[in-house]
Amino acid sequence: MSDQEILRTTGLTMRFGGVTAVNNVNFSIDHEGELRCLLGPNGAGKSTFFKCLTGQLVPTEGTITFMGEPIAGMDTHEIVNLGIGIKTQVPNLFNGLSAYDNVRLAAKRKHLKRQAIEKTFDMLSNCGIENLKGSEVGLLSHGQRQLIELAMVLAAEPTLVLLDEPAAGMTGEERDRLAFLVKEVTKTASVIVVEHDMAFIKQIAKNVTVFHRGEIFAEDDVKKIMKNKSVQEIYLGKSADAA
Amino acid sequence: MEKSILKDPGLYVMVSIGLLIMIFLPIMMDMFAIMQITQYVVLSVYALSLAYIWGYGGILSFGQSCFFGLGAYTFAVASINMGSTSLPFILAIIIPALFGVLLGYFMFYGRLSDVYLGVVTLVVTLIFWKLINHTAGPQYAIGDARLGGFNGIPSIPILNMPTANGQMMDPIQMFVTFMAILIMVYVGLRLLIASEFGRVSISIRENEVRSSLLGYDVRRHKVVVFSIGCGIAGMSGAMWATYQTFIDPNAFSLEMSAKALVWVMAGGVGTLAGPIIAVVILQWISLKLGQLNIINNFVLLGLILVPLVLILPKGLLPTVKQWSQDLWTIWKKNKANEGDTIIKESETVNAGRRK
Ligand SMILES: Nc1ncnc2c1ncn2[C@@H]1O[C@H](COP(=O)(O)OP(=O)(O)OP(=O)(O)O)[C@@H](O)[C@H]1O
Ligand SMILES: [Mg+2]
Repeated sequence: MSDQEILRTTGLTMRFGGVTAVNNVNFSIDHEGELRCLLGPNGAGKSTFFKCLTGQLVPTEGTITFMGEPIAGMDTHEIVNLGIGIKTQVPNLFNGLSAYDNVRLAAKRKHLKRQAIEKTFDMLSNCGIENLKGSEVGLLSHGQRQLIELAMVLAAEPTLVLLDEPAAGMTGEERDRLAFLVKEVTKTASVIVVEHDMAFIKQIAKNVTVFHRGEIFAEDDVKKIMKNKSVQEIYLGKSADAA
Repeated sequence: MEKSILKDPGLYVMVSIGLLIMIFLPIMMDMFAIMQITQYVVLSVYALSLAYIWGYGGILSFGQSCFFGLGAYTFAVASINMGSTSLPFILAIIIPALFGVLLGYFMFYGRLSDVYLGVVTLVVTLIFWKLINHTAGPQYAIGDARLGGFNGIPSIPILNMPTANGQMMDPIQMFVTFMAILIMVYVGLRLLIASEFGRVSISIRENEVRSSLLGYDVRRHKVVVFSIGCGIAGMSGAMWATYQTFIDPNAFSLEMSAKALVWVMAGGVGTLAGPIIAVVILQWISLKLGQLNIINNFVLLGLILVPLVLILPKGLLPTVKQWSQDLWTIWKKNKANEGDTIIKESETVNAGRRK
């Protein structure tokens, strides 16, 4: 299994009227357990790219292959049931319910009654949020909501995990926990992480893909990307056209 | 936490009240009063149809009367043609439900936003109302049934007893039958809401994006919820038609749609018993004031609604529940530390309400 290609996009393009948010992206995750970071300034198209992968948006052009199956244009629930899980940039939770109920609803998608409850407790403790289990999630901080959504995603045991800015709003302690978790997840799944936090990226990643204006701008080892002048420039807001 | 619906005392209380009314009202009251009350029973079933799709499916329909009218006309046309009433009654559930599937398919698979959904249901209702209004001529007939345009359809058969010899129901029998239907619809919906299917509906209502990201087919689910509501609305239309033995295009009117919205809002979105209570209270008020003949019914509806929304934004039942919970905490606190001042307690009440 582990030598099977997990994900490949070819010529993936998403336009909103005149705005091309994702432009001719050829991207791949070659093997199980790969951890890839996506970098890019605000509006580079990272979240839009994720939404295309999960069927929340239907790409204007291009193909997406997940575990050998073409998925572009499929419905979100079908894609999810094939094994893609996403933590969205702004957490989508069932606000009126407790953290426990949120995670259990996700665990129930994969497990029967008793195992689902076990899985729920496992996920809550793995993510370090056991103390929140009775709290109504609508009332929690952004960082805590991030962890709860992460627990939900992992409870469904996806093959490919997409994390859109998971460290945002987290305390230092929560972030360390997150870094540890992400590495744990790569034992059983592949992970793509969108992050702006360089320290966090250094903590977890080897390979980095940089998005800029909807296109793949660079793709390399994390250390080389950090030293890359033009990458630094686009992050500082200067025009990258010179590069 | 999951709690079995069968252990919920509220369900048994409601069913017991329903059964008591069903059995004892015909003994205690005269025929005329029973006939009046039958009207509330029919409208309660109608209110439940919207209470379910809005409160438990998050689907806000401005055109519930479309399905009420469709059920009424289906029953009228089919029973006039067939002579019997059982099959027409069933058709009056099935045809609106199927139309609900069709309309729901376009709305939900077309990814219409909530606002457009309201507009579409409203417009479809208006189209029906207009169309039926224009069927006055003799050429507009389905079999033996003339649609009659704005004059409506008279002499609609009264429901027969569902027994072998199938006599026509007398008013008392009709009341008892309709009460039985109301209780069954109530219990059926409670069971449905508590089932796995119902939990998914509530997940979707709470967060559609996360529900689809958990792998639920949100659109198909909404179509099913919507069409169940349409079937129930259709049935209440058939009950209305056979109760009045007459139906006219006003069954499709905006007033009829607005009433359903008012009842559900007043009774409390997300409850089933609340809208039933609202039907009884509001219909009774509008009946009494209508007899005085000083104020237009439509204006009255608005006059009731505005202060209601301001005073009880969550609706009747949830507010009463909240109050009784507050009283309960006060009472418990009182027992715990007898000497405490009232100020402290009113603070906890306010804190509780702010949540
Ligand atoms: N539904 C939409 N309709 C129109 N334009 C959109 C839509 N979604 C995104 N865009 C545009 O597409 C571009 C890419 O947005 P996207 O959210 O993918 O960026 P991002 O890389 O995730 O940025 P950030 O780091 O701020 O989250 C932006 O210019 C945005 O305005
Ligand atoms: Mg983004």
